[in-house]
Amino acid sequence: MLHGHLPFVRHPEHEDFLEEDWLYEGITETYIPLIQVFEKLCEDGVDFRLTMTLSPTLSSMLADPLLEERYLNHINKLIELSHKEIERTSWQPQFQHLAIHYLNQFCKARDTFEKYGRNLALAFKKFQDLGKLEIITCGATHGYFPLMDVCRESVRAQVKVAASHYESLFGRRPRGIWLPECGYQPGQDEILKEAGIKFFFTDSHGVLHGTPRPKYGVFAPVYCKGTGVACFARDLESSKQVWSSIEGYPGDYNYREFYRDIGFDLEYDYIRPYIHPDGVRINTGIKYFRITGTTDHKEPYVPQWATERAAEHAGNFMFNRQKQVEYLNDFMQKKPLLVSPYDAELFGHWWYEGPQWLNFLIRKIACDQDEIRLITPSEYLAENPRNQVITPSLSSWGWKGYSEMWLQGSNDWIYRHLHEASAKMTELARSYPHADGLKARALNQALRELLLAQSSDWAFIMGTGTHVNYAVRRTKDHLLRFNRLYEDIKSDSIDNGWLSDIEYRDNIFPGIDYRVHQ
Amino acid sequence: MAIIRKIKDKIRELAKKEINLKAKLPKPAKKSAPPEEEKREIMGERETMVEKAKFFQPEIAPRPRREMPTELPSQYDRDRIVLQVRDPWWLHTYWEVRGQTFDRFKSELGESFYRAKRTLRVYDVSQINFNGSNAHRYFDIFVSEHTNNWYIDAGGSGKSWIVDYGLLLPDGRFITIVRSNVAHTPIEGPSWITDEEWMIPEDMFARLYGMGFGLGQSSPVGKAWQERVKRALFSGVFASPGMASMASPVKKVPKERKFWMVVNCELIVYGATEPDATVTVQDKEIKLRPDGTFSLRFALPDGKQVIPVKGVSSDKIEERVITPIVSRETKSSILVKA
Repeated sequence: MLHGHLPFVRHPEHEDFLEEDWLYEGITETYIPLIQVFEKLCEDGVDFRLTMTLSPTLSSMLADPLLEERYLNHINKLIELSHKEIERTSWQPQFQHLAIHYLNQFCKARDTFEKYGRNLALAFKKFQDLGKLEIITCGATHGYFPLMDVCRESVRAQVKVAASHYESLFGRRPRGIWLPECGYQPGQDEILKEAGIKFFFTDSHGVLHGTPRPKYGVFAPVYCKGTGVACFARDLESSKQVWSSIEGYPGDYNYREFYRDIGFDLEYDYIRPYIHPDGVRINTGIKYFRITGTTDHKEPYVPQWATERAAEHAGNFMFNRQKQVEYLNDFMQKKPLLVSPYDAELFGHWWYEGPQWLNFLIRKIACDQDEIRLITPSEYLAENPRNQVITPSLSSWGWKGYSEMWLQGSNDWIYRHLHEASAKMTELARSYPHADGLKARALNQALRELLLAQSSDWAFIMGTGTHVNYAVRRTKDHLLRFNRLYEDIKSDSIDNGWLSDIEYRDNIFPGIDYRVHQ
Repeated sequence: MAIIRKIKDKIRELAKKEINLKAKLPKPAKKSAPPEEEKREIMGERETMVEKAKFFQPEIAPRPRREMPTELPSQYDRDRIVLQVRDPWWLHTYWEVRGQTFDRFKSELGESFYRAKRTLRVYDVSQINFNGSNAHRYFDIFVSEHTNNWYIDAGGSGKSWIVDYGLLLPDGRFITIVRSNVAHTPIEGPSWITDEEWMIPEDMFARLYGMGFGLGQSSPVGKAWQERVKRALFSGVFASPGMASMASPVKKVPKERKFWMVVNCELIVYGATEPDATVTVQDKEIKLRPDGTFSLRFALPDGKQVIPVKGVSSDKIEERVITPIVSRETKSSILVKA
């Protein structure tokens, strides 16, 4: 299960906006490589199953013409830079062949991007339509649901807006949802049920600490008491092998070093055209070194060695799953299920060889054995409809397993404002059940601003301490716009010009209907 | 005469150009034109807007930017307290009480208002319908006048809580100003409730439970093992690294001393020839700029580099070779004073 998400970072007001690079890096290093892996698997007739989220903010950005055009500029500049790099490294073959490697990668990325009409959401749709991928939805803007429990109308809006957006993009209703940050609050499954959603995921302790005790632990899904929505819990053993900063695969010394990028390493005047126009050095995506060891000393990256390691690691992962299943089979009366969810950007962006690892793993599972197989949650439920009924526990997959990542000294101030805005949005939806024209536009925009303010990413960033100003600004800007809209709507003095301006800036969810916030 | 006609033609041509240019310029707004800088910005925006916006009707006249506050209000003119769960052991509460509400208490309570303590009263309301006086137990936290939020150590998991913000009077009476919602903290381990129909032996569950946390298959049941699970769960080892994409700027591995230095050399080879000449550098053909100049930039490793630059005229008759020979030798030393 791969969770693909980025917050909405579209800034038409500036030609170059640092935070938009999060999207471009994700496209080049994660989303396109994954698509290329899927394409090759289909070409070679290798059957596979994966579950994937494309959060509504991510898929909206992937389908946005302005961002598509900007991505094309971005990748073209990288191609130009790799040409220069090939020349510059003429006397350093150990780096020159890497420069050539990057040139190839970037050119192929551009080809893939163009092949799908620049809209990568359509590429993922293709694999869903082929039955290989099950794409599930997420909260509309990745709001953290447990801390929205005092205003469930907002949880409902997050879910319903996401489901409608999914439908418009993929041509059918979503069957499953990735609760943002895996944040589950007991009782909120009612809202999922209303939206026709059949399953969601929790972290291990979400099910292990459920009531009554789950008979099969995390190795079979459960149904939520009262709603019957299925809940799949993460298997931490398989997670740890990939995630863990201590013993996980991505730390292998042969893999590419994330923190050595020519955007920081090369001479300033030379690299200047390829970093931020303000002159701030940033990552370009061209990285020449392998992790090497624990010190600052880094050796050149050797792609062949890294590929060999990725293949070994895929074999190791499969072997461990086989052992796990073999053991579980002894005392389970049904087929054990191992749920291994990862942040999609772990593959390729953070762990450069991740897509290759996934490719090897899928091929090995398909061709080398018949003890385990890949399956989607929908398929598992269809084959195993009888499951235990419990109430899962409050949980998240964040730091310490609950809500502390999003509720600590650096970010707790936001909830007073967010909850107030939610209450006001509910009031608006109730007061104007039949608005049209300008008023309906203002009401819809008010909901957009509220949703954008609710992204868990802002609280997360405030909690981690990098890019804090941006996260604070985004929270405040959306709330301030919301507050102004609220006043304008109540006093019947909507400023058409200003409304048009913020509709243009925050243009997510064109088909939104404010009435869902009830 | 011919010259004069030429000049006249030129003037006419220029005039035409100016008209064209004017036609391309945006028409000035009829009413109060905004300052020059603002106008330009809005104009640029509008072009993009028309092209890109999906559901937006553009206006004709430029409009002044709307003044927006930059800070959120500190109060919302409501009496309210909200209680939320941070984890099985900790709650967070924030509150707001209007000045007029305090005024009312001031006039009701007179002198004792000023001697009252602002207090959070935290009630354990697990499994009950709270009516204000039937809590299993409660405890008080005194807060200062200007405090508006608090983390509460609930002292136990798997319970339901309500908190009142109020005044504790010198005579021991507690006056509630605002009462929160109910918040339920999760249990911190497996449930003791087992479904009878689905019962499985304790040790089997224990093994499944241990495996669920990736602790292997032989996990013993008991306090030490519980601690291990707790450590694994709350050490953050399994927490998602979050968005590495958002942490782009270089993070250096922390080490004992922070001082460091790197020196690299690059070499720029540049020159010029006839724009239509063919030039090779180290036997590889290079591209000339339209004016016949060229420059190449190389990372320069230690050792000797022989760089023949050969130019051949377009008619292939003339050929020149210029060969810079460059060598680099790097020495380094490290000194750490005690």
